[in-house]
Amino acid sequence: MKRKKLFQKMFIMTIAGIFMGGCVGLQSYLLPDRDVQKLSADYQVTASELTSEFLDDLDKARLKYLSDDGESEILEVTGSVSRISENFKGEKVVLLKNDDDKAGVNCTFTHETNHSVNAIEVGDLVTIKGEIVSGAYYDEDLEIFVNASLNKCDIIN
Amino acid sequence: MKSKSLRNPGNYGNFFLRVMPVNSYYGTLLRSINILVVLIVFSGLYASAQDDARLVSEKSHIRFFSSTPAEDIEAHNYSATSTINTGNGNVAFSVPMQGFEFDKRLMQRHFNQERFLDTQQFPTARLVGTITNLDAIDFSSNGKYDAIIEGELTIKGVTNKISEKGTVTVNGNRVTAESVFDVTLADYGVEFTSGRPASNIAGTIEVTVHAEYQPQ
Repeated sequence: MKRKKLFQKMFIMTIAGIFMGGCVGLQSYLLPDRDVQKLSADYQVTASELTSEFLDDLDKARLKYLSDDGESEILEVTGSVSRISENFKGEKVVLLKNDDDKAGVNCTFTHETNHSVNAIEVGDLVTIKGEIVSGAYYDEDLEIFVNASLNKCDIIN
Repeated sequence: MKSKSLRNPGNYGNFFLRVMPVNSYYGTLLRSINILVVLIVFSGLYASAQDDARLVSEKSHIRFFSSTPAEDIEAHNYSATSTINTGNGNVAFSVPMQGFEFDKRLMQRHFNQERFLDTQQFPTARLVGTITNLDAIDFSSNGKYDAIIEGELTIKGVTNKISEKGTVTVNGNRVTAESVFDVTLADYGVEFTSGRPASNIAGTIEVTVHAEYQPQ
């Protein structure tokens, strides 16, 4: 009788374990997208400060801003709009760059936030929030300064 | 004095000025022609310097596609920068690895992690090469040209030699380049022998590159 109860307990616990494990697995598999605009920013910087940090010490800036799981720091970057273009996905790309700077910050919007770009034009001073995907650097093979990149952007003022 | 120096073969060595009288209408005319010749030569040099111009692309799409019986996985990157030097055929691509977007967030996280692409340590992949059949491509004339690129591809800090085919399309000032090639992950130190990655990620993935260039 005692043995039967023990088996019953073990059976229930095993089922519960499988169920809970399945839930955790399913939840992580169906992890909702990272909502960059709802999360708070890790850093507030100007476009010049951000590019200078990378150009001065690439390794230090890389470890500061880029995460090891690719979900890198969320930044609010302020700068002068130097160019407005569109990528092959139809997302707006706003380059924040001062005329005196060697490199700028390419901010890629999403289909949901594209409309915000209609309100700005070249020369405006704006603050854009997004997640950083790469820093600025001088590329010896390209022989140009490569701009930093932010994805999932929106204008916050 | 003037005519003597102009007649001196050591000075300029201009054939016309040596054989023609200089203090004449023809002499003046020929000196003008001389200046014109110099101007034409310099404008020619200027034009060839322009041919040497570099094209820069910040508008691109790089896709990779992995297919196994278990599942198909693809990712897209719109953040790459590339240049083509139309004078010597040098081509370079710099691809920020954290710019790859997946359908599933978990997959994207795995892709970036140390045991996969380790994108914090190796934030860019790069392709550096030369168009070997540059003579077959006329960057000043509209058309679609086959291109052969030989060079080196670096992913996760590992460099391998590559030779791939692509096309270059010239449409006025706008030049686009396209290529599809295979990359064997194990060649770049990305290898899985067991578990889900081994069964769900193909050993060889298909990479599609599409870039639009503007003159610098």
